[in-house]
Amino acid sequence: MKVIKLHEGRSHEWLVFGRDEERPSKIIDTNQYMIKTTNHAIMLDPGGIELFSAMLAAVVHHVPVQQITHLFASHQDPDIISSLGLWDKTLPHAELHAPWLWEGFLRHFGCNSIRYNPLPDEGKSLRLDDIELQFIPAHYMHSSGNFSVYDPQAKILMSGDIGAALLPDGAPMFVEDFDAHVDKMRLFHQRWMPSNRAKKDWVRRVRQLDIEYMAPQHGAIFKGRDVQRFLDWLDELEVGTGIK
Amino acid sequence: MQFRSKNSAHFFINAATVAADLSVVLTEAKNISLEAMNAKALVARAGDNVRTFKPITDFMVELANDTIWLVKEINREALVLSRTSLAELHSSDANLRFAKAQQKASTAPYVETLDPIAKMAYNQHHQQSVQLRRHMRKLFELLDEIESRMLAANVVTATSRLEAATAADSYQASLEGIVVKLEKAANRIKHIATKCRHSLER
Repeated sequence: MKVIKLHEGRSHEWLVFGRDEERPSKIIDTNQYMIKTTNHAIMLDPGGIELFSAMLAAVVHHVPVQQITHLFASHQDPDIISSLGLWDKTLPHAELHAPWLWEGFLRHFGCNSIRYNPLPDEGKSLRLDDIELQFIPAHYMHSSGNFSVYDPQAKILMSGDIGAALLPDGAPMFVEDFDAHVDKMRLFHQRWMPSNRAKKDWVRRVRQLDIEYMAPQHGAIFKGRDVQRFLDWLDELEVGTGIK
Repeated sequence: MQFRSKNSAHFFINAATVAADLSVVLTEAKNISLEAMNAKALVARAGDNVRTFKPITDFMVELANDTIWLVKEINREALVLSRTSLAELHSSDANLRFAKAQQKASTAPYVETLDPIAKMAYNQHHQQSVQLRRHMRKLFELLDEIESRMLAANVVTATSRLEAATAADSYQASLEGIVVKLEKAANRIKHIATKCRHSLER
């Protein structure tokens, strides 16, 4: 499992875990994120069950496991959170922040000890030591109950499936050539994102944020000017193309 | 009886299948009960002509009631076993995944923080395995019980045949018919119980 430090500040750091070489070949590659503060750590979209061992092994290179006090699931998909049953055994005192809409569904993955903290549709904030994370509504992007996570200090937006790209194994962790990258994102967004109205709403919300990195759950991370280029591209893209 | 963990992935399916197969046994047991009622009525009508047949009809009633009770017990135990074997499978999977994480993180600075979790997963798996073996034993005991009842039924049918042969002509055919039905039902129940045992031993 490749690990990259996305941000290192006075109060906290962001780590991205991905490009696991031992991942079974038919499983889509995913990026998992962890924010580590002085006393806490939160894992964002901690991944599927098949990745659990590799993730847990990678995480303890950076924090003692007890320091992980929070989990976040942007939505209910198995590649996002089907490992929940095992995290439930690992972190029995942790809290899971996830859309209220999916509580009854996510509990099918096993959530006996972890406390489910349902996120209201309008979003909310979470304070971890010196930082405050914002859960930004991203409903229907692609899931009907969906959130992005924004860290105003680090200026990082974890965008879940928005900005995802289907890349070959071993692809770089950052977008290097935006124009070439567009081809690897188009189908994903056109087919997985169902609503132009929802897309416009999310783009409008996110344009108000100061973003240095936009970090999706699949593919490569956008930085600097590419973030705005992505928002412009998405704003114009026709989505929901599954219906002819 | 031998539980082999390599088969645990299919075991919960086999246990659920056993519960389904047993519904046939329940039908057969109810048939025995019905035949026992017929036999009782016949014995009452025939009076002294078939007096020696009365203990046999009493046995048939007892056999039917015991079999119905046993089948219900086996059915309940088979469902518990199916659930337990699934829990065992999950705990085994969790145990393997934690062990794998420990192995992969062997050089990590905080690897020791995994120790209590991995140990707990190991213990949970051990406990689930013990539970599974306990429920297996219980189920096999119940299957033994039902098979031995059916062997007793075979002995009784042999005796009944002799009794039927000595009864008055007007009742002979009816009594022989009852004996044949009892024998068929007992053999069928025994066959299904043996099949259930083989499914679980696979």
